[in-house]
Amino acid sequence: MTLFSLARKNIKGNFNNYFVYFVTLVFSMVIYYTFTSLQYSEKIQESIELSDTMSFMFGVSSIILILFVAIFILYSNSFFTRKRKKEVGLYAILGLRKKTIAKMLFYENLVIGIIALVIGIILGTLLSKLFAMILIKLMGSITDVDFGISFLAITQTVIVFMVIILFTSVQGYRLIYRFKLIELFYAEKKGEQIPKVSLISAVIGVLLLVVSYWLILKPFPDEFTTEYLIKNYGIAFVALFIGTHLFFRSVTVYLLRLSQRNKSRYYRGTRIIETSRLLFRIRGNARTFTVIALLSSATICFLGATYSGYYSNEKRTEEVVPFSYSHLSKGPEFDSQVESIIKADHRHPIKAQLDIPVIQVKGILSFQLDYDINPVQLISESTFNKAANALNKDETVSLSRNKAAVIQPRFTEYTKSVFKGENITIQLPQESSKLPFVHMVESNVLPFDYPDFFLVVSNEMFAEIAKKEAPLTYKVYEVENEVTAQATSKKVNKLVGNDFQVSSSFYTEYKQGKEGNAITLFIFGFLGLVFLAATGSIIYFKQLTEANEAKGHYEILRKIGVSRKDIRKSIKKQSLFVFGLPLTVGILHSCVTLYFTSNFMSNLIGINLIVPILTAIVFFVIIYAVYYVLTVNTYNRIVNK
Amino acid sequence: MNIVVEAKQIKKVYGAKGNIFSALEDIDLTVMEGEFVGIMGPSGAGKSTLLNILATIDDPTTGNIVVDGINLTKMNEEQLSAFRRDKLGFLFQDYNLLDTLTVKENIILPLALAKLNIKELERRADEVADKFGIRDILNKYPYQISGGQKQRTAASRAIISKPSLILADEPTGALDSKSATDLLESLKDLNEQDKATILMVTHDAYAASYCNRVLFIKDGKIFTELVKGKRSRKEFFNKVLDVLSALGGGANDVI
Repeated sequence: MTLFSLARKNIKGNFNNYFVYFVTLVFSMVIYYTFTSLQYSEKIQESIELSDTMSFMFGVSSIILILFVAIFILYSNSFFTRKRKKEVGLYAILGLRKKTIAKMLFYENLVIGIIALVIGIILGTLLSKLFAMILIKLMGSITDVDFGISFLAITQTVIVFMVIILFTSVQGYRLIYRFKLIELFYAEKKGEQIPKVSLISAVIGVLLLVVSYWLILKPFPDEFTTEYLIKNYGIAFVALFIGTHLFFRSVTVYLLRLSQRNKSRYYRGTRIIETSRLLFRIRGNARTFTVIALLSSATICFLGATYSGYYSNEKRTEEVVPFSYSHLSKGPEFDSQVESIIKADHRHPIKAQLDIPVIQVKGILSFQLDYDINPVQLISESTFNKAANALNKDETVSLSRNKAAVIQPRFTEYTKSVFKGENITIQLPQESSKLPFVHMVESNVLPFDYPDFFLVVSNEMFAEIAKKEAPLTYKVYEVENEVTAQATSKKVNKLVGNDFQVSSSFYTEYKQGKEGNAITLFIFGFLGLVFLAATGSIIYFKQLTEANEAKGHYEILRKIGVSRKDIRKSIKKQSLFVFGLPLTVGILHSCVTLYFTSNFMSNLIGINLIVPILTAIVFFVIIYAVYYVLTVNTYNRIVNK
Repeated sequence: MNIVVEAKQIKKVYGAKGNIFSALEDIDLTVMEGEFVGIMGPSGAGKSTLLNILATIDDPTTGNIVVDGINLTKMNEEQLSAFRRDKLGFLFQDYNLLDTLTVKENIILPLALAKLNIKELERRADEVADKFGIRDILNKYPYQISGGQKQRTAASRAIISKPSLILADEPTGALDSKSATDLLESLKDLNEQDKATILMVTHDAYAASYCNRVLFIKDGKIFTELVKGKRSRKEFFNKVLDVLSALGGGANDVI
């Protein structure tokens, strides 16, 4: 019998043990292949307008993915080797030379890896089409996805995974040299001991968590520097990391111990069994819990934040480009040309059409404002009211002769109080006039163009200034169903050119935002899914190993007279704790972080982010729940049959 | 005196068509209240199968068993669990203690499962701990105590719910002779003073000599029965040895 065939027989005979490891490998490969094949898909790159950003995002994410996949594979490899130490010891006792055993393990690992790689790529090819369709749907493109095989992606996947497989194979080769024979035999017998309560580390754990929350929730200082950013959030992250670990390691032990004190509760029903088992296992689980809590909170954060961006795209666009089309008037001929294009689009009839005369003047504020206000753009009270009405906004202004209202500059957070009691001096060729601020409004009428400082003045005042400084006229149109006006927008953009820093038509801006957000959402969604699946599987594997070790435990309970139903209940409770605890901590962490970022973001875009964040959390909880049910069933099958 | 166990025509068959092995064939067994009955026989005779069936962990292929007036064959799984919890006490060769629980928690487990009130529970725990002399180790974990202490803990757990029947499966099998004697003395006391009914499977003639009556099983059938009567333990021990040598196969197991 050659070594190679011995290795092959081993795999066949030990299929159950290998299976979990094998599935992990295939899963990682499918994910990675799918991701890279999307990255290289020409169809996808063609169909979007932001392909530079996209390939950059994909590049960064694929590095994260490699790291993650490598760690995940190494973890399950060590998990798998631990199970086989005894077998390896047996070979040694039967008289195989160390070198022979080492070679055999090397081949085994290599064979599994290569088979997994082939299957992974085949499955990945099938799945990549599905994911490509999801991405395109998210971006709102109508391109059809072809069913292609990407050779670039295959090569890259093969290279990455061959490196990982070779590494684990070498690990396998070294296994026999790393341990003494006796250690191989007692590998699974390491008894766990009841953890001691350490009040100090429990207190430190809680303190660290409090400190990190406080640092995260602290409002921005007036002066916002990179140093502050690194210091404040760096410390917050480290404190969060250590605090979380101590929380699982000590605080939970302390709490479980505390719950044991109440004897009349503790000595009632199966609670005594569950509590003591959890207590026993907590040390072994603390590290996993920490990793899972932090990973899930990071995933929820990213998902929540990116989904918020995606979700709020329309709102954001409405702010940046208020009307469907806007352009600077360039003579009647030009204007009517634009008008006829827009009128020709019968599927998007015009709801409102107006002229917005704007006077650009130089102005000096009576106070210091860290915003460049010149040239100040003046519009008249009646124009503003008409425009706001056309946009379905219920803001109106009415001003007496020489008063002014400011429109909040976009992407700033100035409040009414900033302008209260202050005034602006408008400088005209021969004279200057002082206008006190009486009001601040938030409805914008023209597309964003820096500096974004608009003043609404009374009609009389506007007419008076217009005599000295000729106004520019902007033509704006609001049409029905502007989010689909692709063809017309294209034509208008071509004709109008760049009047503003952003696009002159709503649709273009909307589409670009949607695509950009869709890509980030997709990438984070994809990574999130991978993290989720990986963390779920880690708990699942851990619980199954535990189930195998706990068989005797539950057999004793059955003999003492615990019914199968009660055992099942007890397993449910324990699994709930094991899944629920890190998830709860993760959600809590992410809520705190998201609370901070959403405050920050909703100031920018002015909408409530509770819906998208809740969606992300619910999505997360549902997938975890699936893992939970799976774990309970398998656990139950192992110990309670 | 009441009948505690009444088993009739118990049969246990393993395997499917063509390859049938019967572990027990038409066993009849009656145990009265306050008896200390031993079951002996060579390896593979069916002792443990019988005990498992009486313990409701296994069920007979045919036959009828009544324990403490309750017909076991007519109960469903949940009722059986409750029955085990309330009516039976177990003692195993490998102790079967839960290593996540302290000695005390192990002992009170059956009462906790039965949701007995805390005062009564504590009182009984103290009582049995005194009886088996394990008061000092109540707060230790199983991995911190000796085999003899473990078995005494298991014995405490077996009697704490005041079961109608205590089933012991080779309780001295893993113990050194001193610990074994201690345990057997305790069981004897339990039987004599508290009128506990004990059924013990063993292939140690010394352990069997503590019983009032010993049943011998061979190849799934009852071979013979010895009653101690007025004999001294020493005499009874010799009698047991005689039967064992007649039985054959068991001779190697004699200490």
